[in-house]
Amino acid sequence: MVTLVRTLLLHSGTSRDGHTRTRVGWWAWLLQRISGVLLVGYLFLHIGVISTSQAGSETFDGVLKFVQHPLFATLDIVLIAVILYHAFNGIRVIFFDMGVGIRHQAALVWVCAVLTLVGTAAATYLSLPLIFR
Amino acid sequence: MALDKNRRLQYGTQGFWLWLLQRFSGLLLVLLVLVHGWVTHFSPIADMQAGITDEVVTFDVVKQRLAQGIFIVLDFALLGAVLYHGLNGVRNILLEWKPAANRQLIVNVGLWTLGIAAFAVGARALLVFIL
Repeated sequence: MVTLVRTLLLHSGTSRDGHTRTRVGWWAWLLQRISGVLLVGYLFLHIGVISTSQAGSETFDGVLKFVQHPLFATLDIVLIAVILYHAFNGIRVIFFDMGVGIRHQAALVWVCAVLTLVGTAAATYLSLPLIFR
Repeated sequence: MALDKNRRLQYGTQGFWLWLLQRFSGLLLVLLVLVHGWVTHFSPIADMQAGITDEVVTFDVVKQRLAQGIFIVLDFALLGAVLYHGLNGVRNILLEWKPAANRQLIVNVGLWTLGIAAFAVGARALLVFIL
């Protein structure tokens, strides 16, 4: 069963693991790690902020008003960029796991970079009312 | 659990399933984070501009949203999936130092404890709006 699923999902080609040998692929891998660790750190901050609901609606609204200051709304743009990169590169890696696109792995790093930039630009545009208020 | 010659825990096929689950939870998170980001943080901007609410996220806004069962399911799924995916990612990084069995056990038990505790804190925070 495991062998079957492994064969279906991996194809044997992934064991060549070419994507860790070129520089751009190594950077993509390193950024995936760094963005992942940053997001875990943010996750615990996020749970901490939301858990102030325990102290009642007034406390919660006070804390939430503070973290929705335009300064933090601006920092949220960075958060969105980190999330988008991690998501797009994660999908890139899943394609390689299925044996798809490995030969184009380096070019696909740049596709991820462009998608991240476009997504971040769109999110920035949508966030403008939160930043300039 | 058996140990290999370097006194590391032997997982057998367990590592494969953990790897697969990391991929599936990642894909699930793409969907859940997208919905969460849009519904919680972007969609209410219009309400704020219309003067319906002071801020995008307030106690009342969250309470109203969690009155709909679908968002209870989505938020708990997001909390569980993001903690699993994030802490399993941290575990993958820590295990790359190839620690001995007792250290691996500390990593496993430590991360599970942290994950369950964080889930409990997050769940309690959500239940304030639901109950």
